[in-house]
Amino acid sequence: MEAMDLIVTAVKTAIIYLGMVQVVPIMLIVERRGAALIQDRPGPNRVGPFGLFQPIADVIKMMMKEVTIPRQVNKALYLLGPFLVLFPASLVIAAIPFGDFFTLFDRNYVLQVANIDVGILYVLAIGSLGIYGILFGGWASNNKFSLIGAMRSSSQIISYEIPLGLAACSAVVWYGSFSLREMVSIQEGTLLGVLPNWGIFYQPLGFLLFFIAAFAETNRLPFDLPESEAELVAGFHTEYGAMDFGTFFMAEYMNMATMSGLMVSMYFGGWHLPWISDATLLQWLGSRNLLAALQVLTVIVKIAVFMLIFVWVRWTIPRFRFDQLMRLAWKNLIPLGLFNLVLTALILYFKGAA
Amino acid sequence: MRETLFMVFSLFTIAAASGVVLSRNPVYSAFSLILSFFGLSGLYLLWGSTFMAMIQILIYTGAIVVLFVFVVMLLNLQTVRENSPNLLFLVGAAAAVWLFSLMILRVLTRAIPNKAVEIPTDQLRAISKLLFTRYLWPFEVLSLFLLVMIVAIFAITRTQEIPQGGEKK
Repeated sequence: MEAMDLIVTAVKTAIIYLGMVQVVPIMLIVERRGAALIQDRPGPNRVGPFGLFQPIADVIKMMMKEVTIPRQVNKALYLLGPFLVLFPASLVIAAIPFGDFFTLFDRNYVLQVANIDVGILYVLAIGSLGIYGILFGGWASNNKFSLIGAMRSSSQIISYEIPLGLAACSAVVWYGSFSLREMVSIQEGTLLGVLPNWGIFYQPLGFLLFFIAAFAETNRLPFDLPESEAELVAGFHTEYGAMDFGTFFMAEYMNMATMSGLMVSMYFGGWHLPWISDATLLQWLGSRNLLAALQVLTVIVKIAVFMLIFVWVRWTIPRFRFDQLMRLAWKNLIPLGLFNLVLTALILYFKGAA
Repeated sequence: MRETLFMVFSLFTIAAASGVVLSRNPVYSAFSLILSFFGLSGLYLLWGSTFMAMIQILIYTGAIVVLFVFVVMLLNLQTVRENSPNLLFLVGAAAAVWLFSLMILRVLTRAIPNKAVEIPTDQLRAISKLLFTRYLWPFEVLSLFLLVMIVAIFAITRTQEIPQGGEKK
């Protein structure tokens, strides 16, 4: 039976990881068409039906480009840079729960790559490693603009990790668990009979902080300073071209997917459908595995909604200046995060006392 | 399986730690330090302590080494060129050997217990309980101490007076 478990785990890992990679081409077309929609222009619509093959063309272009390595770079770290960003980005998805469990040959398997008891710490810990790719890549480029850009991006990521962590802390205190799976399980049912019993209704401030910090962590607009090549000479990826450059973008989209997955698990009920309990669904569907499929679909749809919000925000809010970015993190978000943490603890204390 | 993994992680940690001391380029040293912390957190995982493993990565690798790397990169340090072991190197090596032999002596002169330290099933609760009861005062004093240091650093590095209510010109 142990061999069976190993095979199931391997297949699970492969499917979730490959699914994660598919996020990149899908987001490429969604982002370009979404941008066009918001800006009232047609967007890429020539390649294939509705321009659907555009991402394939984009990737082929990226792959076919000549890999140029500038002469002054530190070769080992320069080549390692993009992968140091991609590696953690593709690892964190392992902790996101996609559903309750499915049954195979009378055995239950969780719909998650790894059911880690400190899942949220795992995500924060591995997620914080992406910074090294930026730092080493920028430094190895041996170019002052790249180095300064790397410093800028990494100080941004470090700064926004604090409100992100504080929001996550409040959620942990509220749910009383570090496990993302347990958090999702608690969110079943309804609140006061009207609202779904989701975390956002208990932690609205926490969600807002997490949401804002997620944009900064993934380097998305309005915090995408590395993309302002005209004003700031881009940043850590100035010296990168071809697929090395593409790798940074793959990591960005993967990070977006993970952040969305985290928000879905922590604040939007994970695999639960609003107003319908899992038991009722099971009665309707009559099969555990059908329910599991529905749960996975629910999580994917919820993640997709967040991805669309990422694109939407990109074309709605103008870019922040660096000092505004830092002021927002240190003077607004962090005090709010601390306030939220203390408030959550106090509410729980008095709830327990009453 | 466990023993093999233990050997792998230990050797990895030791190799990376040697890389920290032996590499000529400070940036490579910092990179090795990250790798060695990874090996260490692998050992924690093997020990069954997921929490410690994650905290190890989150705090040391994710935050503290980042600051090291910042400093190393901004100071624009050069690669160490001279090859000959100088006096400082010898003193350092002697100190390391002395410390290491002390540790080995301590281990060898004591009976090695048959059983590993027992890990409570709910580690998180056990750690927090100790932190908030028995070690509350040291914990609070330490955090106050860190706060004082942050304020002190601001006081020292801020050489220019900034007029009240206005931005620095």
